[in-house]
Amino acid sequence: MTQPAVQVRDAAKLYASTTGALNWALTDVSLDIGAGEFVCAIGPSGCGKTTLLNLIAGFVQPTLGTVTAQGRPVQAPGPDRGVVFQEYALYPWLSARRNVEFGLRQQGLPAAQRRERVNEMLALTGLDKAADRYPFEMSGGMRQRVAVARALATRPQVLLMDEPFAAIDALTRSALQTELLRIWQELQLSVFFITHNIEEAVFLAQRIVIMSPHPGRILDIVEVDLPYPRDRGSAAFGAVYARVSEAFTQLVQEAG
Amino acid sequence: MKTPQPLVHSVASAFSPLAGGPAWPREGSPPVREDAAAQRRQRIEHDFQAEQRQQRRSGRRRQTVLGVLGVLLFLLAWEIAPRVVPGINTKMFPPPSQVWGVFWEMTYTKGEIWPHVGASLQRALWGFIVGAGLGVAVGVLTGRVTVLRQLSDPVLHGLRAIPAIAIVPLAIVWFGLGDVSKVALIAWGAFFPVWINTFIGVRDIPATYLRSAATLGAGRWATLAQVALPAALPFVFAGLRHATATAFVVLVAAELVGAEEGLGFLISFAHLVFRVDVMFVGLLYLGAIGFAADQLFAWALHRFFPWYGAEARR
Repeated sequence: MTQPAVQVRDAAKLYASTTGALNWALTDVSLDIGAGEFVCAIGPSGCGKTTLLNLIAGFVQPTLGTVTAQGRPVQAPGPDRGVVFQEYALYPWLSARRNVEFGLRQQGLPAAQRRERVNEMLALTGLDKAADRYPFEMSGGMRQRVAVARALATRPQVLLMDEPFAAIDALTRSALQTELLRIWQELQLSVFFITHNIEEAVFLAQRIVIMSPHPGRILDIVEVDLPYPRDRGSAAFGAVYARVSEAFTQLVQEAG
Repeated sequence: MKTPQPLVHSVASAFSPLAGGPAWPREGSPPVREDAAAQRRQRIEHDFQAEQRQQRRSGRRRQTVLGVLGVLLFLLAWEIAPRVVPGINTKMFPPPSQVWGVFWEMTYTKGEIWPHVGASLQRALWGFIVGAGLGVAVGVLTGRVTVLRQLSDPVLHGLRAIPAIAIVPLAIVWFGLGDVSKVALIAWGAFFPVWINTFIGVRDIPATYLRSAATLGAGRWATLAQVALPAALPFVFAGLRHATATAFVVLVAAELVGAEEGLGFLISFAHLVFRVDVMFVGLLYLGAIGFAADQLFAWALHRFFPWYGAEARR
């Protein structure tokens, strides 16, 4: 087997609140994300899913354990791991085109190449006509497309997404999910996608990592071997949904 | 005034099947009717846009008319007050009709106001540029670099607590009565509001802006210049606006105490020769310049940073 895109080994993260109280946001997490694999993490708030993403992105360092990407230890954020945030994090002072171009500028790519790559990304995300609009002139769905285009412009191997479609209406969300799958297959990316929506996870992921809070940990990993494109109405889809949902019910009962 | 009545009618008829076909072409409808429907839709859209333009225009017109009316009412009250309030000497409180003659003479006939206006504007501008430039630079650095912040915190806040006006005598001792002392004082006054606002803006940037910059490979300086500064711009602008006001306060204070020309000097000189009407002319010019500066500021903001207003409205 080829080297996994991301490897998390026995990772744990300890936080101290301002009052000094300690909190294990994550304990004993080991997870491999294969090259070209689509993994969803799902769980109630406080289960450490965002902490796990932050570790992989390199925003925070694990208290225990190791995180590697392409075999190299993760020490800082970098353009090999693109991140899409829930609140878009687009720069309001830049147009869609300039937002997508941002990472390429940092790499010092010449203008002609930047232009070509930006156009390619805008076409990939269906934004050709909105290239010169500012974020305030765009709908939530379009902003999130720009955020995806921006994260992908530097050609990362891994795309990390933190509840990217949570603030988007249901119809637009399902369109974005389908587009994301197309982009994932086209670019053969590894995707780590956080959600709190079971249906979204079953529709997207090859593997669903179910997480549980206090302390944050991995409860179960569900393989989803349904072919793409998936039919939300099919019996097989329903069966996977039921399985994930059952794990959650158990979780809630344990908590109560 | 045009009423929206006909527009409402045409909309109703365009959507009514009784009035001859749908507003949007349906599948299988003959091309002739499609054309008619498209034309009708265009006409509705055209009328709608005209209506909108009309509304915007009349809104702007009302703003202008009421603004001018406000000024006239103010002048009227000023004209009447010295006459009806007992015990007021019009030499001490000249009404606009008396000030007007001096105003016209100083502005146009003799034009003696202009060297004063020019001197004051030049000082304010240079002081503002120097102070605001330093304020932005220091604000960004102290906002982003923890060591610099901790190092400079007590000193900068201590200096900020000293009113700029209190330094006027010192500035005159150091730099004399000329332009240098005025510019230095205004720069001093303008620096602090710009610094403190820029600092807060840079310190409180949304974490995701910085994180996304890091994932996109931005280095320390690129993050500072391309992310931290623009993200803090709304705060910087608030500081700059505050600084323009401060600049005028310090300017006049400096010119009142010691100067050879400038609006502050004019007012102080008029005081010595007991010409209250000339004082009023000086004050009028100060008000007008301040107003113009603020308007210019708002216009430039809208013109060069279209996204800024949208962010601020959020």
